[in-house]
Amino acid sequence: MTPIIIIVSAAVISSISFLTVYFLMPWFIRYLIRKGRVVQDYHKSTRPSIPRPAGPILLLGIAISEIILYLLMPDIKTLAILLTTIIAFIVGFIDDLRVMPGWFKPAALVVAAIPIIVLGAHSNYLNLIFGDSYIPILYLALILAIIPIAGNTINSIDVLNGVATGIIIISSVPLLTSIAIFGDSETLLTALPMFFGAIAFYRYHKMPSKIFPGDSGTLLLGAMYGAVAIAGRSELIAVIALLPAVMNSFLFLSSVKKIVEHRNVKSRPTILTDDFKLVASRSKDAPSTLVRLIVAKGPLSEEQIVRRIFALAVFSSILALVTIAIQFYFVKL
Amino acid sequence: METIGIFGLVFVMWLMILVVSFFLIVVVAPLHISIFHNMTDRYITSAIQAIFAIGIVIALISLLGKMKGRYLKNKLNFP
Repeated sequence: MTPIIIIVSAAVISSISFLTVYFLMPWFIRYLIRKGRVVQDYHKSTRPSIPRPAGPILLLGIAISEIILYLLMPDIKTLAILLTTIIAFIVGFIDDLRVMPGWFKPAALVVAAIPIIVLGAHSNYLNLIFGDSYIPILYLALILAIIPIAGNTINSIDVLNGVATGIIIISSVPLLTSIAIFGDSETLLTALPMFFGAIAFYRYHKMPSKIFPGDSGTLLLGAMYGAVAIAGRSELIAVIALLPAVMNSFLFLSSVKKIVEHRNVKSRPTILTDDFKLVASRSKDAPSTLVRLIVAKGPLSEEQIVRRIFALAVFSSILALVTIAIQFYFVKL
Repeated sequence: METIGIFGLVFVMWLMILVVSFFLIVVVAPLHISIFHNMTDRYITSAIQAIFAIGIVIALISLLGKMKGRYLKNKLNFP
């Protein structure tokens, strides 16, 4: 594939994903409001009703781009990543329509990992920065774990306006860089609709949110991020870039000690003050989360917390870029 | 100031990931057991490598859990 074809294809599919999400989202917001599919934003003094989920339009933008990419240059990785994304969306959409038990999302997301295995979009080597490890059988088990973990990690960090989308955008920069250096151009092209779709969606998800992604939106973004990392042989780079979100999931799971829906946790990790700031719960039963850690010493507004989470995401992305440099050095050796 | 502590946590997590990766590549991957001098050796080697790798990851997770516990205890003044 010549560089000019790659650049033109990248421009076409990125534009389609961005423009589809950007221009269809306002119409979808009005549609959801008309249908009464709204939830309250509890962190605002006016408690506005915010429509959700944005997942269907996000999927539409990404899917159209991926289908066009597949028609332009058929590659099995594109098809596998698209199928994984669609299945993750369906799992999330079911949860959007009807609240499912805590085990549902992780268990159902295992199914989303199957296209990657069946279509062979993965390698038998795990990229461990300082070298590769040949683990053909263990790697299959890893894939079945990576997709549910990635999906639920983005789902769990979606607690404040714009955070899930912002983190995906920031973390995608080192991921795309790693794929460009160590992966292949097909996977890089397949990842672009996720990146540009998320940028377009951030316009509506940032504070104050006009729409929430819902489980369908967060799971499709998370699962696609994981699938791209696997196909692009950049698993550890993806984990490092996403460390604040990974830390959030780890903190929650290690304190609750079981898989449970956030909304079903009895003791909340943070408390909303009268002036609509968040402060850490002092209850020992309250689960640990990234937000609870951030507000541990005193109350902060939602905007301040979001800025700090983004600062952490930028920091971990810089660490991921440093890791890419380390890997580049060892690959050259 | 509080966020600097969390930056530190992220940095330590990153260092731990690098150390584990380095250990897996430099120590665990080259392991080779030679007992029967046939395919059985390959399976034994793979099993030992897998046990090592899983053990290291479990140790990493438990270390992170301890770090989290100490951080929260420190910041939220838990007894």
